[in-house]
Amino acid sequence: MGDGRVRFDVGGTTFITSTTTIANAGQGSMLSALIDGRWHQPSDAGIFLDRDPSYFAVLLELLRTGELHVPPGMSRRALHREALFYGLLDHVKEAQRGPLNGNLVECRASISGRAIGDGIAIRASSDGGCCVAHETMVHVYDWALEEKQPLTLDYVSVNDMGFLNPERVVICTYERGEQIGGMACFNVNTGEIEHRYQVTHEGQGKNFPALAFASNHRHVFASCRKRISDYGIGVWDQTTGEHLDFFHDSEGTHLGDARKLQWLPQSNVLFVASLYPQSDNSFISLLDFRMKQKAWTWTDSKMRSSDDKLVMDTVAMDERSTVCVVNQYDNLGFIDTRLSQQAVKWNHMYTHAKLSESEEHCYSRLAACGSQVYASRRDNVLVYCCSDKEATRCIQTANLSKEGRGTISDIAIGGDRLFVLQAEENLFDVWETPILHGVGC
Amino acid sequence: MSRPKEKIFKIEPFKHKVEMDPRYPERTWKLLEDAIHQIYNHNASNLSFEELYRSAYNMVLHKYGDKLYNGLVNTMTEHLREIGRLIEAAQGGLFLEELNSKWMEHNKALQMIRDILMYMDRTYVANFNKTPVHELGLNLWRDNIVRSLKIRDRLLDTLLDLVHRERTGEVINRGLMRNITKMLMDLGSAVYQEEFERPFLDAAADFYKLESQQFIETSDCADYLKKAERRLNEEIERVSHYLDAKSESKITAVVEKEMIFNHMKLLVEMENSGLVSMLTDDKYNDLARMYTLFRRVSTGLATIRDVMSAHLRETGRQLVMDPERQKDPVEFVQRLLDEKDKYDKIINSSFNNDKTFQNALNSAFEYFINLNVRSPEFISLFVDDKLRKGLKGVSEEDVETVLDKVMMLFRYLQEKDVFEKYYKQHLAKRLLSGRTVSDDAERSLIVKLKTECGYQFTSKLEGMFTDMKTSRDTMQGFNTGGDSNEGPALAVQVLTTGSWPTQSGARCNLPTEILSICDKFKAYYLSTHTGRRLTWQTNMGTADLKATFANGQKHELNVSTYQMCILMLFNQADSLSYKDVEQATDIPSLDLKRSLQSLACVKGKNLLRKEPMSKDISEEDVFTFNDRFASKFYKVKISTVVAQKESEPEKVETRQKVEEDRKPQIEAAIVRILKARRVLDHNNIVSEVTKQLQARFLPNPVVIKKRIESLIEREFLERDKVDRKLYRYLA
Repeated sequence: MGDGRVRFDVGGTTFITSTTTIANAGQGSMLSALIDGRWHQPSDAGIFLDRDPSYFAVLLELLRTGELHVPPGMSRRALHREALFYGLLDHVKEAQRGPLNGNLVECRASISGRAIGDGIAIRASSDGGCCVAHETMVHVYDWALEEKQPLTLDYVSVNDMGFLNPERVVICTYERGEQIGGMACFNVNTGEIEHRYQVTHEGQGKNFPALAFASNHRHVFASCRKRISDYGIGVWDQTTGEHLDFFHDSEGTHLGDARKLQWLPQSNVLFVASLYPQSDNSFISLLDFRMKQKAWTWTDSKMRSSDDKLVMDTVAMDERSTVCVVNQYDNLGFIDTRLSQQAVKWNHMYTHAKLSESEEHCYSRLAACGSQVYASRRDNVLVYCCSDKEATRCIQTANLSKEGRGTISDIAIGGDRLFVLQAEENLFDVWETPILHGVGC
Repeated sequence: MSRPKEKIFKIEPFKHKVEMDPRYPERTWKLLEDAIHQIYNHNASNLSFEELYRSAYNMVLHKYGDKLYNGLVNTMTEHLREIGRLIEAAQGGLFLEELNSKWMEHNKALQMIRDILMYMDRTYVANFNKTPVHELGLNLWRDNIVRSLKIRDRLLDTLLDLVHRERTGEVINRGLMRNITKMLMDLGSAVYQEEFERPFLDAAADFYKLESQQFIETSDCADYLKKAERRLNEEIERVSHYLDAKSESKITAVVEKEMIFNHMKLLVEMENSGLVSMLTDDKYNDLARMYTLFRRVSTGLATIRDVMSAHLRETGRQLVMDPERQKDPVEFVQRLLDEKDKYDKIINSSFNNDKTFQNALNSAFEYFINLNVRSPEFISLFVDDKLRKGLKGVSEEDVETVLDKVMMLFRYLQEKDVFEKYYKQHLAKRLLSGRTVSDDAERSLIVKLKTECGYQFTSKLEGMFTDMKTSRDTMQGFNTGGDSNEGPALAVQVLTTGSWPTQSGARCNLPTEILSICDKFKAYYLSTHTGRRLTWQTNMGTADLKATFANGQKHELNVSTYQMCILMLFNQADSLSYKDVEQATDIPSLDLKRSLQSLACVKGKNLLRKEPMSKDISEEDVFTFNDRFASKFYKVKISTVVAQKESEPEKVETRQKVEEDRKPQIEAAIVRILKARRVLDHNNIVSEVTKQLQARFLPNPVVIKKRIESLIEREFLERDKVDRKLYRYLA
């Protein structure tokens, strides 16, 4: 058909649309290849597609309007499958949720697992998938929250885990002998190990006890606490698994005991935090691997008068050059990383309510996204917004809670989603910002 | 009724899996393989994209991704081998054309194959870490075509041959070249570098090695540089036409090395056309070309600079040491300034105002100006000349430029104190004889000296100006106070001792007329300034005499004080012997002789006659008044025979004075340093003293040592008792 119109015959139903609408599908999609001049289109009856027209209608509407409307009763899973066929999956993903904003989020899904034991940690991938650790097992969910193969590294208890990319998960454990445990990268589709990351001595690779892990686009970092000579932060090549470098702990800042690593892409440094109970005092450092030096360090060893200001969790806010910390009474504090050895600015917006001894207590966990900090507090997640003017000031703006939820053991942010893991019910909630159409776009 | 035959039930086992038609994957692959063949055979118009896409989709969906992927690799490899054979078969010049057209076709086919297998690319390839279809197609092309045995060398030879032909002036198909190099770049920068760039650079190196050898044998330096520049531009242009932009720096590096770096010394030192002759002949364009070309190689500029500097030092040395030149100080300094202008212009217009060249120029000047110990004197004389007469009718701006240039030369001087000494003498003469042309110019120069060397350098010079002004005021007061209209008029300049280069012991018996008015002034002055002492510097004064000659002709004679004293004697006597004159005036004999000489020995202008007639004055001579003196002018200036330049003994004397003046300065510096440091060894003291004083002069280490010894004698310092090399400050 001429004049920029395209006719499709999808499973017997005729659709007429324009080439400009199809162009919205983008270069890499099957639909735009279809109408490309490379391929000869024989009949006037339109381009035949042997697919279900009802899904096609939804997806065509998505291309026309940029909005995704799933009719009641339509399986999302099937819709995703069809979108993958047409090469429109990215469009569907994008149309489902807006940028994460703690003041607008809704609980979109609650996923119950079938694992045994309590969920101890949750991590998010960049496209909105997640993985949950239960003792020795890691359960992986893709962005559509479909469960993938469960992963385990030789059935050793998981210390830390995370995504290199949506297809790859790294698991850190203690090492058990020569062959067992350590750190490895899994393919989530096959459930198989792709690399084991090992510390190399004179050409000989050995497993090591990995406590925490982080990655950037090329490297993998892990805290290693094996011997004196292997105490610090190791660096590996992500794609080959080759051991590249080792940052030895020279100043007694307990790098090898670090429980939390975070790559800060803007500052190009690795955030390393060693916290209670692995070390008695808290040590937070920023490592610059280009010059192999500590760009910044902080410790509470000198400033702690009584033990009531233990740092229980911490998260770096790269854009704001601050580090957020939380103590055992769920008080939030901030440290400005542009200044050296600075005291924590505690946020006394709320004070500690006495805990009953009988209640099982999970300490507050932190996650950050832009200028927002998310802190779990028993069964709630509190949202704080940081002031643009002052790096170390923030205000609580929202309280996320859901009926019938128990204590929260961990939270994670990724792919514009907030994941909240329950300590006991073997359940996690997924919070998203709904798309607000026609508003301020 | 027979019982119905019991039906035997057979229970089939439950099928867990619906088996697909086992031939299905094979059939589907066949379909896709066919399609790939059709695509390569330009027969794609019969193909249904939807069907093919769906087929590939189904294969991946049913876990036949492996089969699909491997099938693709095999089929594509097969096709590329076939294409390779076709390209190999192409004759001569058609080879590149064929390669290019097949490459275009392959790209198109690859695009279509990727369309069909898009689903596999997105799922199977991503999940199993395989190479995506497009990249796979490029890799297979690389391995089966570009790096195949029969094509690889032929391709390289063809490309290099084309480049060579273009270098030798032929016109080649640049569009085709562009396409082929683009193909190599598309295959990855490593392929481009290995298959083309590296050999290309090697070939260029060989080519330019040969060519530069030819050029250097047949051309002179300027021509060679023109050719090199042209070659360089050609290569840069070549890169922009059909090579990767990243090759530019590499190929220019090759040309630079072969054409410039390897022949640098030879070029610069080339006889009759090298750098030296360019400099002498002011070949600005050639010099600029040499600069821009040589700048491209690491030691290029240093080479030019060294040769220029050596040449400059040598010519400069000849200039300052040339005894001919030393006869005329003004000419001498003017030559230096011209030389400086010449090189300033060269550096400015040809050498991009390069700082390092300016430094080389400065250090060369510093070197040779100080070779001649008389340079400070000459520079001061040059200034004297300019300020006396040279600046008449010249605009203020031009005055400034001349002074600035002089200051530049002054900066090169190591013995600035010697200059000061002479400058003071010359300035004193100018001021006292009222010969200075422009007060502004004088002051401007002093300001410049002050900014250059600090206030203590010029404080005495400024004192001289102040004296001149106060003297004017004093004289005004004296003249209005005094009532005498008759008798000689007196103009006195009161000079502060120390500010002026006075010669002590200058004495003479003034005529009584003068003496009385002098005493009057003395009384007047001392009445207003108590506690001061006045001494008459008769050697520096002048007098205007009214004289009447034989034929009643009257003249006003402008003479020096000494001459006045002598002439006044002839009011009483017509003829006097040398001895008489000496006795009567008590003028020091050297000055007396000089004065008499100017009075008696200047032909046609002689106020006295001498017996016997000769050029020199001897003690036995007798002088008579020459009343036949005649002149066209009413006012006649009788100039003393003054040495413009210093005579040898004077020079030695000035030198001694300078050395004498330096002593306290060196001692002061030593004491200052040791006072701050308490203890210091000899070598460090010498270097510190040199550092402190080098703005004024370069102290001689031997002199410093002597001063230290003298200070030890006077118990300002002592030697350390343990380490004799150390000096200790005694408070």
